[in-house]
Amino acid sequence: MRTLVLLSDARHPVSGRPHLSRLETQAIGLAASLDPAARGLHAGSGEDAVRAGLGHGLAGLDVIETTGEADPLPALVGFLADALGGADAPELILAGRRGEGGFETGLVPYLVAERLGLPIVADAVAIRAGEMPGTLVVDQAMAKGARRRVTVRLPAVVTVHPLSPLPRPFAYGPMRRGRIRRHSPAAEQADLPAVAKMAGHGTVAGRAEDTGGTTVGPVDVVPADERPHRARPKLMRTSGTAAGGANLHVGPDPTEAARLILDYLEANGIRRYGKAPE
Amino acid sequence: MTAAAFLPWLIVAMVVVAAVQIARRVILWRSGRPARVDWLAGLKALPRRYLVDVHHVVDRDRSASRMHVPTAGGLVLACALLVVGLVPAIAASRLYFGLVALAFLVMTAGVVLEVRRRYPRPLPRLSLGQWQKLPIPLGVFALGGFVTAFLASLGDPLPAVSILTLLLTTAAGLGLAGMAGHGPMRHALAGAAHLAAHPRPERFGGGRSTELRPIDLDAPGTGKLGAETPADFAWNRLLAFDACVQCGRCEAACPAFAAGQPLSPKHLIVDLAAAAGGGYAQPYAGNAYPNARPVGGAAGLHAPIVSPEGLVHPDTLWSCTTCRACVEECPMMIEHVDAIVDLRRFQTLERGAVPLKAEEPLANFRGADEPNGRALAERTDFAADLRLKVMKDGATAEILLWLGGAAFDLRGQRTLRALILALNAAGVEFAVLGEEERDCGDLARRLGDEATFQRLAKANVATLSQYRFSRILTADPHALHVLRNEYPAFGGSFDVVHHTAFLAEMVAAGRLAPAALTGKAVTYHDPCYLGRYNGEIEAPRALIDALGLERREMARSGRRSMCCGGGGGAPVTDIPGDTRIPDIRMGQASDTGARIVAVACPQCTAMLEGVTGERPEVRDVAELLWEAVQAGGRNEAAAVKAGEPA
Repeated sequence: MRTLVLLSDARHPVSGRPHLSRLETQAIGLAASLDPAARGLHAGSGEDAVRAGLGHGLAGLDVIETTGEADPLPALVGFLADALGGADAPELILAGRRGEGGFETGLVPYLVAERLGLPIVADAVAIRAGEMPGTLVVDQAMAKGARRRVTVRLPAVVTVHPLSPLPRPFAYGPMRRGRIRRHSPAAEQADLPAVAKMAGHGTVAGRAEDTGGTTVGPVDVVPADERPHRARPKLMRTSGTAAGGANLHVGPDPTEAARLILDYLEANGIRRYGKAPE
Repeated sequence: MTAAAFLPWLIVAMVVVAAVQIARRVILWRSGRPARVDWLAGLKALPRRYLVDVHHVVDRDRSASRMHVPTAGGLVLACALLVVGLVPAIAASRLYFGLVALAFLVMTAGVVLEVRRRYPRPLPRLSLGQWQKLPIPLGVFALGGFVTAFLASLGDPLPAVSILTLLLTTAAGLGLAGMAGHGPMRHALAGAAHLAAHPRPERFGGGRSTELRPIDLDAPGTGKLGAETPADFAWNRLLAFDACVQCGRCEAACPAFAAGQPLSPKHLIVDLAAAAGGGYAQPYAGNAYPNARPVGGAAGLHAPIVSPEGLVHPDTLWSCTTCRACVEECPMMIEHVDAIVDLRRFQTLERGAVPLKAEEPLANFRGADEPNGRALAERTDFAADLRLKVMKDGATAEILLWLGGAAFDLRGQRTLRALILALNAAGVEFAVLGEEERDCGDLARRLGDEATFQRLAKANVATLSQYRFSRILTADPHALHVLRNEYPAFGGSFDVVHHTAFLAEMVAAGRLAPAALTGKAVTYHDPCYLGRYNGEIEAPRALIDALGLERREMARSGRRSMCCGGGGGAPVTDIPGDTRIPDIRMGQASDTGARIVAVACPQCTAMLEGVTGERPEVRDVAELLWEAVQAGGRNEAAAVKAGEPA
C-alpha cells in the first residue's frame, strides 16, 4: 500500500527549535508498517527538521520549497493531485492530528482531503489493510479510551492519534543516506477562501499542520472568564456520618457495587451526574 | 647422536606449525578496517610494555604472576637456547644442555603452580575446556624437555629413556604449537602483536588514554557507522580480541555480571574473537552470561554480531555501564569498552535499535540539547537567590562553573548549592554559562549516538571559546571527562578541574577553614569517571581527611573501585538482572561500618540514594565540606564573641 506522510513545520515544545513532530513520527511508524517504501511530504522553507523522518523509517522525502511565509496548502494539494493522477499514486495519506508549530490551525489534513475529494478518518491508533483490496481498516481513538473500527475505501487521508504505537527510534545513518527530492511549488496558486475563513475563526486551540501560521490573521484570544469562588462540599465533615454501618456492603455483585459507589459520590457532591456544572 | 640433538629441530618444527596456525588468524585480522599503527615505536616499546605494564596488572593476582613468570620465561628461554643449538658445535656441549635443562626446569616449576590454580578446583572466574587441559601439554613439554636435556648434559646414560622423553616432548610441543591459531596458546602470539600494535599506545608507561575516539559521520559514500560485523572493527581490535587469555578478571570486576545482568566482558571478547572466525572452534568453557538470553549463534566475518540470531544478544550490549573496570583489570590490555561502544554506535546510528527507554533522552537531546527535556534557561533556577554571574552578561571570571545535568535534579541541586556557597565563602571569582550551557553529551555518546554528541560538542566548544576564563570547574565527573578528554578532538582544549580537587586546593591554601567534623566514619566511593578515567583518587580523600573525618576504605576503591551502576546510560537502558548494581555497592559501603558514604558525582549520588532500607547516608564531598565550613564559621563567631570585653 503506497503511503505518504505529511510532515509539518513543527517546533519543539521546550526549545522552540524546528523539529519533527512526535505525532508525525508515530504516523511514520504506522506508515512503515504498511509500506516499507513510505515517503514523506513537506511543504516549507526548511528541510532540516523533517529530514529526521528518514531516520525514523521513511524511505524517501519530497520537499516542496516554498518561502517561509507562504501557505503550504496549495503546494501540497498541487503535488498530491499530480501524484494521485500519475503512476504509483499514493493510496494512503497520513498526517498528525494537530499542528505543533505555534499559530497553526490543525486543519491542513481536512483541507487537503476536501480539495482532493478524499475521505478523511481522524485519530487513528492502528491501521491495517482491509480484506477487500483497496480498503483500509482504521482503529480510531475516542474519548475515555473507547476505540472504533472503521473501514474506508482508499485513497484516503488518515490523521494519527498520540496513543498510536511508538515509532522506531531515530537512526542517524539512514537519515544521512536518505534521498530528498526537491520540488518547486505548483504554478497554479488557487485562492483559498476556505482556509481564510477557517483560519480567521481560529482560536489558539485550533492549529493547523503545515500552514506555518501565515494565512492566519491576528488571533482573537478570548480571555478566560473569571470564576467566582464556590463553596466546595466539605467532604471531611460529611464522610464521618456517611461512613456508618448502613454504608457497609459485604460482597455485593460488581454492578451493584458500582451503583452504590456512584450513589455515594453523588450524595456527597463529588460527582454531579448528568447535571450541568454550576 | 643423542636424542637431545633433535630438540632444536623440534623448536623449528613448532615455529613452523605455530606460524601456519597464526597465519590463518592474520588473514582474518587483515580483513578488519585499516588502523594507523606505529610499528617501529610499538616493537621498540614491546619489551617494556610486556615486562613492566603487563606485569604490573598480572601481579595484582600474585598466584597468576608466580605461575606465569616461570612458565613463560622458562618456555621462551628454553626455545631461544635450543634455537642457538642449531649450531653443531654448541649442541655438542654438555654444559649447553645443562642450561637448557635448567630453563625447562624453571618452566616445570611454573606449570606446577598453574596446576595448583586449576586443580582440584579451579578459580571460579577461569575458563575450563582447553584452558583447563593446557597444563597437561605444557607440563609434558617442560618435564620431557627437562629430562631429555638433563640426560644429554650427563652424556646420555639412558638412551632409551631419552628417546621416550623426546617423543613425549615432541608430541606435547607440536600440540602446543597447534593451539597457536584457535587454542589457548594464541594468546602468546596475538598478545605480543597486540602489545606492539595497541590502539591506545598512550596507556603504557604510566600514561592514560580513556577518551572515546570520534568517528567520521560524513564519510563519503554509504559507509556504515559503528561496527556491525567483525570486519567493521579495526584490524588491531580483531587482534586484541584474539589476545584474550580468558583469565576472567574482567568478569570478576564487572558490576553488570555481579548484578546478574547478561554481560560478561570475557565472554563478550571471546564471542567477538569467535565471530571473526565464523563461530567457535571449540565450545566456550567459561561462565555463561548471567540470565543469558537465547541467541542463534550465527557468526562470520561479515555476519552481524549483535542480534538475536547472532552471537551476542542486544541486552548484553546495553548492560554495560562503561565503568572500565574490565579494561583496568585486563592483563592483555584489551579495550572492552571501545568494542562495546563501537557495537552500540552501529545499533544506534544505523538501526535505531536502542532500548525503548533510552530513546527518550536521545530524542530530548535532539530537540532540546538536554536529556531530560528541560529548558536550558531553567538551569540556573535552583540558584536564583545566589546571584550567579553569567558569562553572556559580560562577566569575566577566573573560573567557569559547569553546572551540568545535576542543576535540574533536586538532589544534585543540594550539592551544587553547597559548592557555590563554598566558592563564595572562599572568595572565588566564578561565572556560569547560564542558558548557553548545553549538556556535555556524555550520555548520548555512551549510548552510541555519536551524531548528537558531536553536534553538542561542537556547539559547546564554540560557546566556551567565546569567553575568557582560566579553568572550568565542575562537580560532574562525566562532564569533566568529556570536557577535558573528549572535547580536544573537536578543537576545545580546556583546563578542567573537579570540585573535589578545587576545594582541596582552597583548603590547602587556607581560603576555606573547615572545622573538624568529628565522630563520623566516612567511606569514599570513587566515581569511575574520576578515578579510573582520570586517575583522580587523592584529592577527595585529602579533602575528607582535612575535615577530620575517620576515613574507611571499601574493599574495592581507588582505581579498582566498583561502579554505582549509573554510567554508560545503564540507568536508561535498564536491563533487568538478579539484583541492582547500587545495592551491591551500598552493601560494600555498609560493610565498612561507616555511617556516611561520601560521593563526588551526581550519578553516583542518585544511584546510591536509590538504595532502599537501612543504609549509610549519601553525602557529596562538597556538602560535607560546606557543613564543616559553616561549623568553622560558628566557632569563629563564638570565639570572637568570647574575646569581646563585657
